[in-house]
Amino acid sequence: MKPAAEYATSIRRRLLALLVVPATLVLLAGTVSDYLSNINPVRNAYDQALADAALAIAGHVRKDESGKLGLVLPAEAITVLRADAVDSIYFRVSGPDGKFIAGDRDLPETIVGKGNRSFANTKYRGVAIRLVSYRSEATGVTTTVAETLNKRERIRTQLLSTVLWADLLELAAILTLVWLGVSLALQPLQLLREQIAKRSARDLEPLSPTSAPVEVRPLVDALNRLFHTIEESSRAQRQFVESATHQLRTPLAGIQAQLELLIGEEERPARRERLALMLGATRRLSHTTQQLLALARSEHATFAHADFQSVDLAGLAESCATDSVNNAIAADIDLGVELQPAVVHGVAWLIAEAVGNLIDNAITYTPRGGSITVACGTRGDTAFVEVTDTGIGIPLDERDRVTGRFFRGEHSRGSGSGLGLAIVADVARLHNATLTIASGAEGSGTSVRLEFRALPTPRQQPRAASAA
Amino acid sequence: MRVLVVEDDQVVGDAVQRALTLDGFAVDHVDSAERAKAALQAESFDLAIVDIGLPKEDGMQLVKDWRRKGRSVPVLMLTARDGLSDRVNALDLGADDYLTKPFQVAELLARCRALVRRANRAASSVLLFGSLKLDLAHKEASQADTPLDLTRREWSILECLVLNAGRVVSKEKLMSAVASWNEDISPNAVEVYVSRLRSKLGDAVVIRVIRGLGYRLDEARG
Repeated sequence: MKPAAEYATSIRRRLLALLVVPATLVLLAGTVSDYLSNINPVRNAYDQALADAALAIAGHVRKDESGKLGLVLPAEAITVLRADAVDSIYFRVSGPDGKFIAGDRDLPETIVGKGNRSFANTKYRGVAIRLVSYRSEATGVTTTVAETLNKRERIRTQLLSTVLWADLLELAAILTLVWLGVSLALQPLQLLREQIAKRSARDLEPLSPTSAPVEVRPLVDALNRLFHTIEESSRAQRQFVESATHQLRTPLAGIQAQLELLIGEEERPARRERLALMLGATRRLSHTTQQLLALARSEHATFAHADFQSVDLAGLAESCATDSVNNAIAADIDLGVELQPAVVHGVAWLIAEAVGNLIDNAITYTPRGGSITVACGTRGDTAFVEVTDTGIGIPLDERDRVTGRFFRGEHSRGSGSGLGLAIVADVARLHNATLTIASGAEGSGTSVRLEFRALPTPRQQPRAASAA
Repeated sequence: MRVLVVEDDQVVGDAVQRALTLDGFAVDHVDSAERAKAALQAESFDLAIVDIGLPKEDGMQLVKDWRRKGRSVPVLMLTARDGLSDRVNALDLGADDYLTKPFQVAELLARCRALVRRANRAASSVLLFGSLKLDLAHKEASQADTPLDLTRREWSILECLVLNAGRVVSKEKLMSAVASWNEDISPNAVEVYVSRLRSKLGDAVVIRVIRGLGYRLDEARG
């Protein structure tokens, strides 16, 4: 048994091997049989001519007056008999007693056996010859005629080369046809391969079963079932996440609102402080829950191809910044935007989640009186969105690690979950965007930048060109 | 001011009810769309706070139903979902505002007051914001009963800010509030009007500049 891997290499190679080797063998056998079937009649014809010559000579053997046998043939006739362009002709006539009568004295004879006219291959004067002996019944005279093999060799060579050339051309034609046939037969497979190869990893649309040949349709069906299963499980996970969102948020909203009210009602400072601690913890819990859900969603968004569309970064950044204005004002931070047109291909809510987390981080790590700027725009074929703050900054040696999940920096505040930048990194990865963490203006604070491949922006005036 | 709270979660519903009651609203709390319909049929409300995730018929359906029947009560939607499309859907269906759980009580109250204020503009001719009083019929403003001397354009800007108090109002929006049929206003002019308004209003209210986004009017703290 051959190992399975050998069968797995290439159908084309297997088909070619299976077709070409037998076809070549059949053609070779054909060549041999062609040669043999052509050479025999030729040989027989030459032999017949030789035998005719022997009969003709035998007809001229006569007895003279003394009853002695002799060849009665003029010298011109003998010259004609011996004349041949290619071969040397020899003959010998011998009496019933085997005694030499005429011709070439030392030419061997064959013993005439059962049939008259007996043929043999032998050598004469060092050269291969074909000879025929004929024994006359009436006179008992044996006539032997021989010729060298030049004619026969020549016709054999001619025949062989003709047959070989014809069959070689035939073989070439067949190989070409087999090659073309195999290629054409495999074309549907090639098309299927291209169809699968050019799909993005997120594309779970079923392959069209009618475009595949019957033989591979089970394979296509199996693939489609697999796609369907993945899509289903992705959808199930999405639904789970959606309902988890709902289930967690409502009680958290209840606890948070009740605590806020209790703090307002409580008059004893010590209790108010404890309630405030609980409220803080609840808010962090809400925040972390939100981030965990965002992470879970971004993971299965990898498969949700439908969510990708063109996203206006300026509009998105504006809405993220607007959502954070309350928190920024509460923290006494000047939050502003500098938005230029920028359009990318992406998942809007994921990019919004990333920008929201960047703004949240900036608010957390920027002291009172500081400022945060959300900027976006297009530079050549790159669209960017950037959040810059005047906060405490991220030390150089932590910048590579801050995007890890649950990473807490040396200076991180109590309220961080360590998930914010991990979400941003996930979103960047999902969009093939570059995430750069640098220092803010004049080397202080932090500037986090996401760079996407830009889509063309509708020509328009820069938004909010002059600061309000 | 009478508010209908439609929320099936007891803890959230109770908190919303308490907060609004403390803020001077009269609150009716129901826990299903069915009861909400009955309540709105029997009584009239100045505002409805509707949770999207109600059992059986959801909040979106309820609001859609009200709007189809021509009920114009202002609606603030509460939702545990945070998708952008949900927000857009809710507003398209006829909700007037949208708040995601968990929310801050102060934010909820500010949104409720703003909704009522905007709804009342059609009904009454007076807008109240903190110690500010805007007489819409006569385009006159007063602060703590002292009349303010405002130009027509300053008045328009103040009206627009008060109607959107607590929210960021873009410069474009203020420009269109000021511009009349035959004149255009430059963004720089808006800055000038706002700064004049600030000095005329003093410490009574705060007009914040939100860089690149616009302005926001808040009540002065303390």
